[in-house]
Amino acid sequence: MVTTKILKMGWIMELDNPSKGKIIASGIIPFIFLIILVAYIFGPGSDLLNLGVPLPEIIIEKIDFLESEIQVTVRNTGPIPVEVVMADVNDRIQPAAIEPDRFLERYETALVRIPFEWNEAEPYIIGLTVEDGTRFERQVEAAAPALRPNLEFVGLFALIGTYVGIIPVMIGLLWLPFIRKISKQKNHFFFALTVGLLLFLGIDSIEEAFEVVDDHLSGSFNGVLLIATTIVLSFLGLYYASEKLTGKADSLRISKPVAIGLMIAIGIGLHNFGEGLAIGAAVGLGSIAFSTFLIVGFALHNTTEGFAIAAPMSRGKTMIGKLLGLGMIAGTPAIFGAWVGGFAFSPFSSVIFLSIGAGAIFQVIVIVLKWIRDEGDKNLSSASVVSGLAIGMLVMYLTSILV
Amino acid sequence: MVFILFGMFGISVVLVIPTISEAQLEKKTFVTHTGGVISTTGEVIDPLYVASTMEFDPMKFLREFNYGKVSQLSDGSTLREFTIIAEDDKIMEISPGVFYNVWTFNGTVPGPTIRATEGDLVKINFINNGSKEHTMHFHGIHPAEMDGVFESVGSGGGRFTYEFEAGPVGVHPYHCHIMPLEEHIVHGLYGVFIVDPKEKRSPADEMVMVLNGFDTDFDTENNFYAANTIPFYYQHHPIQIQTNQKIRVYVVNMVEFDPINNLHLHGNLYHYYPTGTDTVPSFYTDMVTLSQTERGIMEFEYLYPGKYLFHAHKVEFSEKGWIGIFLVKDGDHQDSQNGVDYGT
Repeated sequence: MVTTKILKMGWIMELDNPSKGKIIASGIIPFIFLIILVAYIFGPGSDLLNLGVPLPEIIIEKIDFLESEIQVTVRNTGPIPVEVVMADVNDRIQPAAIEPDRFLERYETALVRIPFEWNEAEPYIIGLTVEDGTRFERQVEAAAPALRPNLEFVGLFALIGTYVGIIPVMIGLLWLPFIRKISKQKNHFFFALTVGLLLFLGIDSIEEAFEVVDDHLSGSFNGVLLIATTIVLSFLGLYYASEKLTGKADSLRISKPVAIGLMIAIGIGLHNFGEGLAIGAAVGLGSIAFSTFLIVGFALHNTTEGFAIAAPMSRGKTMIGKLLGLGMIAGTPAIFGAWVGGFAFSPFSSVIFLSIGAGAIFQVIVIVLKWIRDEGDKNLSSASVVSGLAIGMLVMYLTSILV
Repeated sequence: MVFILFGMFGISVVLVIPTISEAQLEKKTFVTHTGGVISTTGEVIDPLYVASTMEFDPMKFLREFNYGKVSQLSDGSTLREFTIIAEDDKIMEISPGVFYNVWTFNGTVPGPTIRATEGDLVKINFINNGSKEHTMHFHGIHPAEMDGVFESVGSGGGRFTYEFEAGPVGVHPYHCHIMPLEEHIVHGLYGVFIVDPKEKRSPADEMVMVLNGFDTDFDTENNFYAANTIPFYYQHHPIQIQTNQKIRVYVVNMVEFDPINNLHLHGNLYHYYPTGTDTVPSFYTDMVTLSQTERGIMEFEYLYPGKYLFHAHKVEFSEKGWIGIFLVKDGDHQDSQNGVDYGT
């Protein structure tokens, strides 16, 4: 309250006297008061705020099952430093090691290593007790050996990424000749279909980000707002960049359809990175058994993404090279995502990537809708557009059931 | 925008690479309380290794009996006077590194082991220095107004004198009986009251084991169990006894929340006197089951030297601290001459 008042004063001063020094001063004065306020609260005024009892809080972010050992990554997510003093497996006290040490400052992480002969596919609850006797736990549904980034797994994840990312997108691109041969009216239907597909993907990304927040991220990160902020920033950044890109399309010697296709490919690429993360993390955390059925589901689902790129590209000259390039931009991130998710899963970066992907997709939606509107006599409510959008969503929903 | 993609690839490489390269820091090796070996660059968290400032000494408590201030009354009977002070503001390290607000009689959990002979007049000057009301409720035979239930003793120095004739013979618990009762008990307001028979039990190496637990996160489930408060204590510090020496253990189960507790002895069986009220043992066994405040006396002798476990055969309890070791050494005496003479 005080600071807003001061801010207003500064503003009025600026209006009254526009000399440069005073303008600078009036801009700085609120900051000075803010600093005084903060200094007071941390210094002499700290007693005033000694209300309530700050409770320790730690979160077990990750549990890895190694040979004869369980490794637990723990983060202090509470308002005070804590001391991790005891570990247990299934509520039975176990001796353990903690690296680098048992004292955790706010947001600091440590690795707890519990020697334990665990059994594959059995559920385990890992508990950690802090110095005031409070116990925090996390459950693993089925213990599975942790993935180490050896060549075999790097190759396996690359293969999975190719199956769920690159191949389906490439197949989707094969619709290009078909889209090219149909009338403008029907063409709009397919553009709208693309929008429907993208809309679904965007919502899907957000949902996945929420899941990571719920399962792995501490409340102190404000997960939901982190997602919202990242989406908006990603959207704005890409929107600004794309306006520049499509505006300069001619000078960059690429056509507008290619520019839009590129944008869609990048948006989908970011989404596929998130999808790869989810797959890699799920395998790495042992929360799913990776089945052929799941891969088939993802593949069918992602074929629609290739179509989304093909639709705008159908308006320009067919350039096989560029088309393949866009397909790779959209597809290959799935491989990278699987690597990161499987070998170096971090809930925070996962949320960030998924949210950037969602923002990118919404940005693409706006671009495509704008394009349809410009071409279709300022009309977004034609039967072909509305039905295209609806069918796009439906197709995605139906193929998503397979996943 | 292509930069974002490249950035993404860059980040993935940065994230993956460190997990491949193994950090080369100096490793230290520890043997843990389960016997397993840990090699680490960090520190060990084990009830054995975490630096401890423990002030309660279970080894001292084990064989410590409080006979009170003794005087003779005009009718020839013995008067035993005790002063018991209740407090409820103490933070104690109940397991290495774990701090808990204990409520205490005379500063410890359990409170002092009060001992008298059948027929003695027991007089307890009770002072409540806590911030809540407390009482002392003895299991045994006494007038209603000495029962420590309806005569709550006020906080901040309230006083009450409990007076009754010691009886019946046996081992009994005493505890605070203020509501909410469970809260007052689980915080530590309990102890043991032993009434010896007039004709004395045979000499023996005598000890007290209060089976207790602590619910440090207040979820009505115990996080720790122990014989005499400190988890795993007698495992790291075995109780030293001798072969062919009669051992007499006064066992009192004060565990709350869990309906039962039990005691299993390795490499031996014991004669069991439920509640200690009879001089003839009821069982010869290596396993008794105890409900809340259920108690008894166990007597046994070891023939062979070595290390013998004793623990709850409810294994959850033993894996949370209720486990110990008797270290039996060769006794050089003929019979039970080393028995602690009691009843002074």
